[in-house]
Amino acid sequence: MKTRREVLQSLIVSIGGASVLNACGGIARVVPSSSMRFYSDQELALVSRISDLIIPRTDTPGALDVKVPGFLDSLMTEWANPETKNNHHEELKELTRMLGEGFATLPPDTSEQRLAQFDYEAFNGRPISYSGYRSLKSLITQAYFASEDGALQEQKWVAVPGRWDPCVEIQ
Amino acid sequence: MPDFDAIVVGSGMSGGWSAKELCEHGLRVAVLERGPEIKPERDYVDQLPPWEQKNLDRISQDEIARHYYKQYPGVAYAVKESNKHFWVKDDEHPYETVNGTEYDWLRGYHTAGRSIMWSRQSYRMGPQDFTANKEENIGIDWPVRYDEISPWYDYVERFAGIAGNRDGLKQLPDGEFQPAFELTCAEKEFKTRVEAAFPGRNVIQARVAHITAVTDEQRALGRTNCQAQNRCHFGCSFKAYFSSLHATLPAAQRTGNLTMVHNAIVQSVEFDAESNRVTGVRVVDAETNQHRFYSSRLVFLNASTIASALILLQSKSSTFPNGLANASDQVGRNLMDHVSGAGANGLIQGFENKTVFGRRPGGIYIPRYANITEHDKPYKRGFGYQGGATPLGNANGQIPGIGQVFKEAHGAPGPWRVSIGAFGEQLPNPNNRVTLHPTKVDKWGNPLALFNVTYSENERIMLEEARKDAVAMLEAAGCSEINSSPVNLTVPGNRIHEMGSARMGRDPDTSVLNGWCQTHDVPNLFITDGSFMASSACQNPSLSYMAFSARSVKYAADLLEEKVI
Repeated sequence: MKTRREVLQSLIVSIGGASVLNACGGIARVVPSSSMRFYSDQELALVSRISDLIIPRTDTPGALDVKVPGFLDSLMTEWANPETKNNHHEELKELTRMLGEGFATLPPDTSEQRLAQFDYEAFNGRPISYSGYRSLKSLITQAYFASEDGALQEQKWVAVPGRWDPCVEIQ
Repeated sequence: MPDFDAIVVGSGMSGGWSAKELCEHGLRVAVLERGPEIKPERDYVDQLPPWEQKNLDRISQDEIARHYYKQYPGVAYAVKESNKHFWVKDDEHPYETVNGTEYDWLRGYHTAGRSIMWSRQSYRMGPQDFTANKEENIGIDWPVRYDEISPWYDYVERFAGIAGNRDGLKQLPDGEFQPAFELTCAEKEFKTRVEAAFPGRNVIQARVAHITAVTDEQRALGRTNCQAQNRCHFGCSFKAYFSSLHATLPAAQRTGNLTMVHNAIVQSVEFDAESNRVTGVRVVDAETNQHRFYSSRLVFLNASTIASALILLQSKSSTFPNGLANASDQVGRNLMDHVSGAGANGLIQGFENKTVFGRRPGGIYIPRYANITEHDKPYKRGFGYQGGATPLGNANGQIPGIGQVFKEAHGAPGPWRVSIGAFGEQLPNPNNRVTLHPTKVDKWGNPLALFNVTYSENERIMLEEARKDAVAMLEAAGCSEINSSPVNLTVPGNRIHEMGSARMGRDPDTSVLNGWCQTHDVPNLFITDGSFMASSACQNPSLSYMAFSARSVKYAADLLEEKVI
């Protein structure tokens, strides 16, 4: 089992190795990164924190292990048009406002509780005001399952099934 | 002496068949393909795992706006970053629509055409489809009946490889099938409940052009059984689904009689008034812009229904001032497609502890019952549904929860969803047509296609009823959380089943082709792509193009041998 610090280190590797890891009192912060092409430092910290909370490492790798934030930074840089880019920035701004300015640096238990409550509201309350969160959650999940570990270990993706079995008992 | 015995224009679904059959009759054949060569080892991406796909395999939004503004919205499920080279760039291959109308012309220009991107559903037309026009006095009568084409369906099915079940339905005749992909447990339950509630309706296994019990003939072409990857839109390294690239063109090649020419855009078919024969085709090279002429004793147009009509319309002469073989003025008219945009989905309970293994390339099919077994309909003809019942699954994060619970929810047992969507018949209408744009041309100087196609009341009413029927069947099957969006008819052309632009008929005054796909006006000119269709039926049409192509070649080859043409 990797430590939180090691997880964050792997995150940094994922974003080009130019970042400096600064951890204090269990609170991790990623400080200036010249290799991020889309996210600001604040945005990266938020996206990283949310990614880790939504898909943590368990007995399989988590979102940070498979470098989801770096993946999304590339996606926004290479795939998104100016309107989508702007929307994504705006959504993160709104998320920061709704979750609270210091969300990314809250102690883990606190941030987990906060996001769990927020997620509950997003799926049970007024979904429209939470569309930015739901959109980010969707991207994080898609990016995770598009990774080698996410696809093979978590989703049990098989390249060439070789046969079709229409009814399998789940053990 | 002509350069070739026969020229086949187009290497796609029907052109491959024309080429194979002509070559196997011992004729020297040139296939003219307007696009570049597809090399599977270079161009197929079916083996690309998710983590090697760039940006979730999404084409960048700016690139879509520049190059794929018709193709991508039209067929987003199949146009991806990794396989975008299978689809035309809209800015390079533009077309126009008459104000107030829309048309989706979705294409791939390369070896084997759309036969490498198709969705492989393969159904025979039934006896009723060949007589409906006559009985209802709509359009013109088909000059062919089911019994005449039936043995040719047998013939092409054996070679192509169609996985399907023999269901014994008269409106959707059985064929020479390989084993079908078995229904999921939820589909079996859905079938039982729907068939009990609606005795005239059937839920059957989709019939798809996938090998499931490879024959020696197929193995000799390097083909093998479907591996249940369901990556078909990215090519198939196993050559398991039927395409011209892996079946008909290699069969033509091995005769030694085939000359394959790429980047050859046909601009006209040349006509000699004295002999009343076509003499060959003029092409412009897509890469060099050089013009060439190929002569031949026979010409088969298999360019696809729109392109074949455009070629005829561009081929003007003093005998045919309105386009070659167009004395009837029917070329480009009666353009049809299938119409979708109605369906329903819902959850089916009782299978939460079950899942599937493998990725099946088809699902279920509900054959047409309207005006077959049920006669109380406020519309003519009918529709079939395609669909399936599979575990809901979730990879898009649209379920509640965070952390370990959320992560594990993706692999946990869960509900199954049934989904069905209608494919309806579009009635022929001479006002639905494609013409040459009066002023605009593409970069090779060819007039742009100008579409003027709209649906009629029959299609609108039919699809409203199809939506209600879909909901009723899901209700009868005990589904919960049934969703059924308001009917939103697909844009004409969107189903990529365009057909009818040179219909066959008995009377040269009202049709372009006779029952052998031979033009009434010019004996050595044949068209065996979707152009010949006198009505659209509601079944996916490719299998019919295959059968009519093979039958037509036999006829043409016999005429050549008898020196009639």
